[in-house]
Amino acid sequence: MATRRHFLKISAAAGLAPAVVSAQGKARVVVIGGGFGGATAARTLKALQPALDVTLVEPSPVYTSCPFSNSVLANLREIDQQQFRYDGIKAAGVTIAETSATAVDAEAKTVALADGNRLAYDRLVMSPGIDFNWGALPGYDEAAAEKMPHAWKAGAQTVLLRRQLQAMDDGGLVVLSAPANPFRCPPGPYERASLIAYWLKIWKPKSKLLLLDSKDAFSKQRLFQNGWAELYPGMIEWVPLSQGGKVTAVDPATLTLTTEFASHKASVANVIPPQKAGAIAAQAGVADRTGWCPVEPVAFESTLRPNIHVLGDAAIMGGMPKSAFAANAQAKVCASAIVKLLAGEKPQDPILINTCYSLVAADYGISIAGVYRPDKGRLTDIPGAGGTSPLEAVGGLRGQEALYASSWFRTIAAETFG
Amino acid sequence: MHRALLPGLTSMILLAGPATAADAPPGASSCTGCHASKKVSDSVIPRIAGRKAPDIVTLMSDYRSGAWPSSVMGRIAKGFDDRQTEAIAAWFAAQPE
Ligand SMILES: Cc1cc2nc3c(=O)[nH]c(=O)nc-3n(C[C@H](O)[C@H](O)[C@H](O)COP(=O)(O)OP(=O)(O)OC[C@H]3O[C@@H](n4cnc5c(N)ncnc54)[C@H](O)[C@@H]3O)c2cc1C
Repeated sequence: MATRRHFLKISAAAGLAPAVVSAQGKARVVVIGGGFGGATAARTLKALQPALDVTLVEPSPVYTSCPFSNSVLANLREIDQQQFRYDGIKAAGVTIAETSATAVDAEAKTVALADGNRLAYDRLVMSPGIDFNWGALPGYDEAAAEKMPHAWKAGAQTVLLRRQLQAMDDGGLVVLSAPANPFRCPPGPYERASLIAYWLKIWKPKSKLLLLDSKDAFSKQRLFQNGWAELYPGMIEWVPLSQGGKVTAVDPATLTLTTEFASHKASVANVIPPQKAGAIAAQAGVADRTGWCPVEPVAFESTLRPNIHVLGDAAIMGGMPKSAFAANAQAKVCASAIVKLLAGEKPQDPILINTCYSLVAADYGISIAGVYRPDKGRLTDIPGAGGTSPLEAVGGLRGQEALYASSWFRTIAAETFG
Repeated sequence: MHRALLPGLTSMILLAGPATAADAPPGASSCTGCHASKKVSDSVIPRIAGRKAPDIVTLMSDYRSGAWPSSVMGRIAKGFDDRQTEAIAAWFAAQPE
């Protein structure tokens, strides 16, 4: 039981006797980031233990969801259908600090905010999502993203990429570049390629999509590739790492992407850059040299700093992918573990599920699932469980999974934002 | 027991209070990622809160064996043994429908 031992070690190091009562007599939990991980954690903490003082720090009054944003690119949805406010979280009794966290002092157990305030915590939850490694791809910086959008944080970038696609001449070349692992939403680039092709086939059928990849394999690969052959023959070309797919530099002035073997001039370029945990994680000292945050697998407490829990995309979650489903599931487990820890009890070993749907077309869905438990200090796939949709679809399976995909999105939004 | 918390008792509750909802059995909290804890409009995924426990157990075991065809539930049911499934089923059965 390396897990437990590690866990107890951290708790002991932090002097974690059940003495969690602040001067006001209420234990305080601060949550940084109001996305799928943070918003769920804040709401669940309050639901499980109404006596807690829970503050959610999030600068934006409106959250724009990445899940289903690829459907916005394909004109199947509008961006405002992706947007959620924090009224439900407020109504649950969570205090919202509408500002950014600028610094975490893990010794003093305080969070400094951009508005000048400082919050003290007994336990801190961080779910800041991702930031981009701007230095990692020569030529690609924040200014370049205005010409070659990433659209990997949904919102203005999503709208910009859609506008560029709509302005493109029929017969144009859309180039998409996908990063090496790990990154947010492993099947996301391939769902995006699918839905852009879906839209091109209807509106600009002479166009092509080139997918330059820094990997030789990807999530749900055979399902995607079968779908592409069936629905968009000749339209999508995938170039894996071993065939020179890795983009080594970009030039936003000419929309050129350079690989080890060739240069490609795009009509529209979607560059999904290398990523790391949201910047506040490194500041707080919870990110390691990989840029991501190691955590133990029971309460997702940082292995680098006690009393700080890291969730969602920012964390290294063993076998679990960086998905909204996973962030929501982790947040619920983390919230109940924190309630236990604050009561001086030991949290139970959790089991977590992940299910990610992707659309290959509006009415063609595929999925991947996994079930995870702590094993030797990390979240590990339970053998024999999980896997992808069958390669041979019987009956209306693909249509059914497309319906499940949109039902899942409505549910997860409600579970997260109330 | 949790009625009428006096402010001064809060800390005691935090120290000792059995947080029932926090005691959902392993795996249960992930189910609501798809099976909504409160009604959601326009979802084709059935809710399971308030369903009879034996019905959930039977269905899960049929998903696991493949006796009942499914898109994703077979893959998920295989991650849980009988005891874990029974605990989850009992927990959902006790949730408001
Ligand atoms: C195109 C695309 C499609 C996707 N599709 C799916 C899908 O179908 N299914 C699925 O499960 N997942 C999908 N995902 C993945 C999903 O978006 C992420 O896994 C999920 O958002 C992770 O949640 P999070 O809480 O870790 O981060 P986020 O949701 O990104 O939330 C982070 C929040 O933290 C805030 N923040 C950051 N820094 C600070 C700070 N210093 N102070 C205060 N607040 C801060 C940000 O403003 C943000 O609101 C998709 C992603 C993409 C890009």
